[in-house]
Amino acid sequence: MLKTKVHRRDFLKSSAALAVPVTVGAAPADYAVKWYPFTGHPDSDTCWSLSVGPDGRIYAAACAEGVPGGVVKPVRYNEQRDDLDYLFDLGEKVEDPGDSGRATQCKIHYSFVPSMADGILYMATHLSGPPFDLPSYSPWYFWPDPKRCFRGAALLAFDTRKDQVAWWDTLIPKEGCRCLLHDEDRRLLYALSYPRDHFFIYDLKTRQRRDIGRIGSINAQTLFLDKKHRVWTTNDYGHLVRYTPEKDRLEISPQILPHNPVHQTGWHSVFYDVAPSPDRECVYAVTWSPNPYMMRIWPNEGEWPRIEDLGPATQAARDLTFPMSMFQDHCGGLTFAGDGKLYYVASRWRDPVRNPLPGEHKDREGVVWRLDPATLRREEVTRLEHPMGFAHYVSRGAVDHNGDLFFGHVGSRPSGIFKVSMPANRKKKNAHLPIRMWG
Amino acid sequence: MQTRRKFDPNAPEVKALREEIRRGAFTREGIMVACPTCFPGGTVPIVHDESRITALDITPQGVIYGGTSGRQTHLFVANYHGVTGIVLDIGMPAGATRSVAVCCGAARLAAFVNGPRGGRAVGAPLASVSQDLIQEWGINRPAIQDLGECVPGEPVVHAVADESRSMAVGVTSQHLFTLDFASSKIQVAGEVAAAGRIALASNGGIYGRDGAGHLWRYDPKAGALRRQAAPLPAGAWDLPLVWARDRRNGLLFTADAQGQLFSFDEKRGFSGPLGRAPLAPVRPMAVTLDGRLFGFCGEEMAKMFCYDPASGEVSNLGVAASVLERRRYGYEFGDAVTGRDGELVFGEDDDGGHLWLYFPRIRA
Repeated sequence: MLKTKVHRRDFLKSSAALAVPVTVGAAPADYAVKWYPFTGHPDSDTCWSLSVGPDGRIYAAACAEGVPGGVVKPVRYNEQRDDLDYLFDLGEKVEDPGDSGRATQCKIHYSFVPSMADGILYMATHLSGPPFDLPSYSPWYFWPDPKRCFRGAALLAFDTRKDQVAWWDTLIPKEGCRCLLHDEDRRLLYALSYPRDHFFIYDLKTRQRRDIGRIGSINAQTLFLDKKHRVWTTNDYGHLVRYTPEKDRLEISPQILPHNPVHQTGWHSVFYDVAPSPDRECVYAVTWSPNPYMMRIWPNEGEWPRIEDLGPATQAARDLTFPMSMFQDHCGGLTFAGDGKLYYVASRWRDPVRNPLPGEHKDREGVVWRLDPATLRREEVTRLEHPMGFAHYVSRGAVDHNGDLFFGHVGSRPSGIFKVSMPANRKKKNAHLPIRMWG
Repeated sequence: MQTRRKFDPNAPEVKALREEIRRGAFTREGIMVACPTCFPGGTVPIVHDESRITALDITPQGVIYGGTSGRQTHLFVANYHGVTGIVLDIGMPAGATRSVAVCCGAARLAAFVNGPRGGRAVGAPLASVSQDLIQEWGINRPAIQDLGECVPGEPVVHAVADESRSMAVGVTSQHLFTLDFASSKIQVAGEVAAAGRIALASNGGIYGRDGAGHLWRYDPKAGALRRQAAPLPAGAWDLPLVWARDRRNGLLFTADAQGQLFSFDEKRGFSGPLGRAPLAPVRPMAVTLDGRLFGFCGEEMAKMFCYDPASGEVSNLGVAASVLERRRYGYEFGDAVTGRDGELVFGEDDDGGHLWLYFPRIRA
């Protein structure tokens, strides 16, 4: 049975629920923040993927989903120039250009995964960007239309050693890839499709795909892998979903992930982001739901994992009579750094009644938190500062081989990424290892 | 690179197009309700990969019976009238992985399932689930009885109850058979190669496709099979047949492989083409009490359509979406029946399958 341990009280003592941030330990100034807009791809309006590559460098997706005919361009942080390199137009590389008349190869959505043995960075595309001559796109509406329907999620293998595309294939016909995972020992990729929410396995040895079946209607935004090569995700109602290769089936946990019982049922408590602990004994996860909850999951314990409820990741005080915007109330970018602490970005917003922030604060801000796995206490270490707008919505985070933090940002045009330089005493070379194998 | 179009978001034609794409995608009229295969708040749904609903039937009182497919089949009974609101998992026929038909007799249920043990019939008494399921309840699970293989070595393709609800008539891959509800006795009634579903027609005859150009007819009262009893109209008849029945008059509806719709009456034979479904193949269909035909068409992500005999028009109602009871998209459907009050009941042939109730738009 699933067991839940509640450490919420301790957690809340230092949570974003407090109107005025509490700073413990290193001063915010020690975490220098710099913004890198995707100026080389001015169409870009989102950055849904940011990962560390097998070479220890940071890769991000300059996605262009709001503009007809938009295509994604993978970028890489160039530490010598302290700037971004634009690698290629992905639509051109997979022979599905932005003017195809179909929905475009507009973004990479939590779908960078490394292959350490050969230096390949796999990336899979997602849909939503309209054809170049239509104002909008619906995958449901255009499903049967061969001229308009998305061709399918492209899987592209980028050789980080040679700096070139090694090969590409169609990962999922007609659908986008919402998230991707690589089991390198078995050379298998796992993916969730959008919009049908099917669970796919792609065999890198044979380049064949298998559709294991449908999960539900709301994609989880992450898959994660345990030591037994089992793949985990969630369903619409906040249950864990587990794929066990030996059983070759999807199983659903009996109990529901942590959520706020006052106004929620567990519906839509799907994973948003999941970071593995450095020892791979547990993962830290946050849900994709208003009032997202943080939790620690021990997949190697028991028939179903032990789950610790770490409480709300964003401010708890809120108006329960009105549905909170998911574009405002958000947490993502979970990653461990060289100091052995979990870092992530949670939104904080001004609420005249419940959280009247002092004047120097923006109405919405992205707070970088540092969580100590030993005590489960967290501290605010800095805030992301966007030069012109808000910086409260972070998709993914990663640490590069120099030990610095990077976060992908959604909500400005052009979109971009943040670098958060780690304080020298908390920084470590090759802090990205062991590397995260899912997007 | 072709020139990218620039759209004025305030232009009326752009607004209209965006609205058509947004609203046109899902259930354009009427209300869809996805009901889980459980007693909500009381039991868990049928196991995720054992819940593809592929067979449905309904009693005259409006109690729905169904069968699932997947790693294991389940039989269930559902009721949404009065103070009920339940899908009750009756049980799992041993060794079966696909339900092809469920038939309601006057007092007993017969289900036809396939699997490693062959094409078999199982029986059970009709269950009572008409208690007050708000207040308190005490429901017994009816026992499922294995009635044996219908025709040794042959999978069952489909079956229907006859007009009197005293027997089920079914087809295997090569034979026609009957099952007497009272005695549970199965008898081979003739030799026909099944080609899809069969249907009870307006005069009590049971019909199935007979080769490329005809229907056969079985008279349950006389026990007589007539080959090539009715010619098929011009069309593409190379897919297994599907049927819907207007229970007011027994008029049948079917579709060819290109989605052309036809009606069939035992006295008048087939109509000419009535219209074409938006996509092919046409999947399950059912007829509401005013004669409108509703069904699903298309592969992988089916769209709902309506044929209105009053106007002669076929309309595309989009992908099924439910925001009542469960928030869910519906992509694949396996069977359909007409509910007691004219609502349509669709069985979702998908992992985590739900029973979908469709309440059509009231004709003004």
